[in-house]
Amino acid sequence: MDYKKLADQLVKKCLTRDADAAEVYIESGRNLSIQVRNGEIETIQESATHGVGFRVFVKGRMAFASCNDFSDKALENAIESAVKFAGNTTPDENNVLPENRGITRVEGLYDPQISQIPMESKVDLAKKAEKLAMEDRRITKSSGARYAEGEGEIFIANSNGLLKNSKMTVCSYGVSVVAEKGDQKSSGGESCSQRFFADLKLPEEIAEKAAKNAYEMLDPKMVKTQKASVIFDSDVGYAILGGILAAINGKSVIQGRSFLAKKMDQQIASKLVTIIDDGTRPKGLGSKLFDGEGVPTQKRIIIDKGVLKGFMYNTTTAKRAGVKSTGNASRGGFTSLPGISAHNFYMETGKTPPEEIIGVTKNGLLLKGVTGYGINPVNGNFSGGASGFWVKNGRIAFPVKGLTIAGAAFEMLNGIDMVGDDLDLNRSFTAPTFRIKLMQIGGE
Amino acid sequence: MKLKGYFVEDIPRRKFLELSLKGGAAIAATPSLMMQLLSCRGPSPGIAKLKIDPEILNKTLRKALEKGGEFADVYLENRISRRILMEESKFKSALFGISQGAGVRVMSGDKTGFAYTDEITEEKLARAAEVASFIARGAKAVSPVDVQEAKKESFIKVKLPLEKVADEKRLDVMKRANQAALGYDPRIKMASISYYDEIRARTVANSEGLLLSDELPLLFFIVQTLGVSENTRHMGRERLSRHSGYEMFDEVTPEEVAQTCARESIAMLDAKDAPAGIMDVVMQNGWGGVLVHEAVGHPLEGDIIAREIGVFTGKLGKKVASDVFTMVDDGTLPNFRGTTNFDDEGTQMKRNVLIKDGVLVKYMTDILSAKQLKMERTGNGRRESFRYIPIPRMTNTFIEKGKDKPEDILASTKSGLYVQSLSGGSVNPITGMFNFTCREAYLIENGKKTTPVSGATLIGNCMDIISNIDAVGDDLAFGPGICGKGQMAEVSAGQPTVRIRGINVGGSRARR
Repeated sequence: MDYKKLADQLVKKCLTRDADAAEVYIESGRNLSIQVRNGEIETIQESATHGVGFRVFVKGRMAFASCNDFSDKALENAIESAVKFAGNTTPDENNVLPENRGITRVEGLYDPQISQIPMESKVDLAKKAEKLAMEDRRITKSSGARYAEGEGEIFIANSNGLLKNSKMTVCSYGVSVVAEKGDQKSSGGESCSQRFFADLKLPEEIAEKAAKNAYEMLDPKMVKTQKASVIFDSDVGYAILGGILAAINGKSVIQGRSFLAKKMDQQIASKLVTIIDDGTRPKGLGSKLFDGEGVPTQKRIIIDKGVLKGFMYNTTTAKRAGVKSTGNASRGGFTSLPGISAHNFYMETGKTPPEEIIGVTKNGLLLKGVTGYGINPVNGNFSGGASGFWVKNGRIAFPVKGLTIAGAAFEMLNGIDMVGDDLDLNRSFTAPTFRIKLMQIGGE
Repeated sequence: MKLKGYFVEDIPRRKFLELSLKGGAAIAATPSLMMQLLSCRGPSPGIAKLKIDPEILNKTLRKALEKGGEFADVYLENRISRRILMEESKFKSALFGISQGAGVRVMSGDKTGFAYTDEITEEKLARAAEVASFIARGAKAVSPVDVQEAKKESFIKVKLPLEKVADEKRLDVMKRANQAALGYDPRIKMASISYYDEIRARTVANSEGLLLSDELPLLFFIVQTLGVSENTRHMGRERLSRHSGYEMFDEVTPEEVAQTCARESIAMLDAKDAPAGIMDVVMQNGWGGVLVHEAVGHPLEGDIIAREIGVFTGKLGKKVASDVFTMVDDGTLPNFRGTTNFDDEGTQMKRNVLIKDGVLVKYMTDILSAKQLKMERTGNGRRESFRYIPIPRMTNTFIEKGKDKPEDILASTKSGLYVQSLSGGSVNPITGMFNFTCREAYLIENGKKTTPVSGATLIGNCMDIISNIDAVGDDLAFGPGICGKGQMAEVSAGQPTVRIRGINVGGSRARR
């Protein structure tokens, strides 16, 4: 099916059905998911699918309809439903579509090889990671290994003459295992996601880390409730990023539901903290040629040496705020309206090796696992479940589980006194190891 | 998925590409197969009944088992949904969704093959059956029994069918809620009203000769209010959801929902820092049941037990909880959010007592785990849509009511934390470690509820918690929610007021 041509035709059709402006968003793609356990295939799921979403504007009112049936009758019906449904919404001058601002050149988003690689190789990759992880004598059970891939193409057309398409691939695999000792159970896992199959980490590396994550948490101890340093391992740095991302969402800012709403150009974090959103990184898992409305993506500084520099907008929210879209329209698939989100969102790397951060910490928590919702984007409160290692006099002393950590966002961000040099940009939402000088830790 | 918990309110559903990537990415992000109970969701049918010639289903099932395998099923679905959002007193958006498709599954020993199609035609179904049968190559083949249409008892009664409700009526409940929320207190600065309804038509056919069809209406109404004071802000949330007709809004009015929400927003403006450390916790009746949903329910799902890695593996018939603790999963509660007539594999819904007076008596199963465990099918095989494989899921899960008076439970607790409501939480079903975030909580001082405290985390191990519940009230109540386990399911969770002796509370100050 020529989806690009169809997208263009469907925009025109919307305009003949009482819509003053319209956008058509089409996705088509293919998925494969393989799960193995104890050396055998457990499940294989494979499918191809497509769908279309219509955003229509009728006298300033906006509505949306989606369907996954591409018969003429179904498409016609969806357009009619959208136009009719628009009668229910409130007219708003901010209901506008983007102009064509071109695309950003981003290399390495599509791997044509993935679909050519035989199923057996993919099954073997998962099996090998599992086998290697199980070789460690401390590992007693496997909770399974997985391989998954997706290949898709997006088409956006709107009545301002915008017509774009982009192809993407993603593949990932990982394993999860259990270590047991007496009555104790500890689970651990590791995985890797890439745009290109050839860039996936070796199963040896995946297996070793999965096993280690499981067994090293055996024999945990409890510590007293206290204030102490908390070192966020690079695996858990995302825990403070989520709340920041939600709080710089242009819509939340306008609605006053963000703890950062009135903090633009102010120092909100320690000078060591720089946070970036980059939609243009080659092969980046969060990279795109254009955002969910067809606006080109960019690389932007959100927090510059502790100073808040940027909020994120899609076209509608930008119009309302009197600025230009930052290319941050996100799309939850063909069934939903554009929201606002980041691309590759990360804390810039620091200069201190992580070992040194641990080495200078007299008493504190090396945080390896955190649970909960992160920083509350409305009021900045943070509270989470914590696990990891207790650090005493610069050395790892013993594993800890079942602790809590809590604080207020500004205190935490300003309390960051060391940032590691170990940023891993293979993840789309990531931070290097960093230390918060003092946080409340809950225990005995 | 790791990020999910952090974006709960803001990320619409999921990205298309990620649909397939859940597997790998889920392991990636959450080594411990963590499960998140999300607090919000966005998804995706006029009425299009699913009509299909049973002979097409027979052909599909025969094709599915052609290469080998002992079981196959076909699931057909058509979903029509409406979503309207009101914010800042404006109807900001209206979304209409039509989705249809079919999934074909083949089982051979412990192996499962699955494929789906957007188009419900004989040709496309045959293609899906062929792809799904890949895993069964060379295995012993069973011939399918021709399907025979059956009927199941219905637990969903509808007075005012959704398809007969005019859009104006939908807008009307939203306006009423908005007005009630903003009128509650001048400190309510914004209200967000989200209305969702859907009609999901399902047909399940399998190689055992089963053929069942039904139509499930669903309503989901969410009010959020922003309370603002000089020093802080609090987003309150209240939800109302049922598998029912529009009469839901006569039974619980939009005003009630809005006022409950606004009350929370205002009450929490006075919140002080929560204390940190291990303390006694009294949990008010209602949605707090999400604690047992996560902490005990997920670890009792048959898949994790069949894999022999779950924390409750090998504990059937053993004492696992205190004598006062009885826990039930009941998919037959009339019109509840977690209720259906039969599960998505066609198994009749039932009331399943999981833990009785502290003794573990049952696991929740789907067809696969029931076979693996040689246990009965409990009616817990559920799927988010035709794009997903069915897995063991909860329905309406709750702690059975006890004999204590809620006021006595509070009065006999010298100090600790009174949790009025929870946002949600997660559990590692292998180790049993869970965590929850409080939405509204108060200090308990000398047997009385006193100062409100801000959103603390509760953390612990499921085995400890169910042993440490020492008081169970007589005031059982429920709340609606969304459960995520790689795919979404609509559930209810419930409990009477209970007291748990000793949970680690993640406050931001030392205890005084």
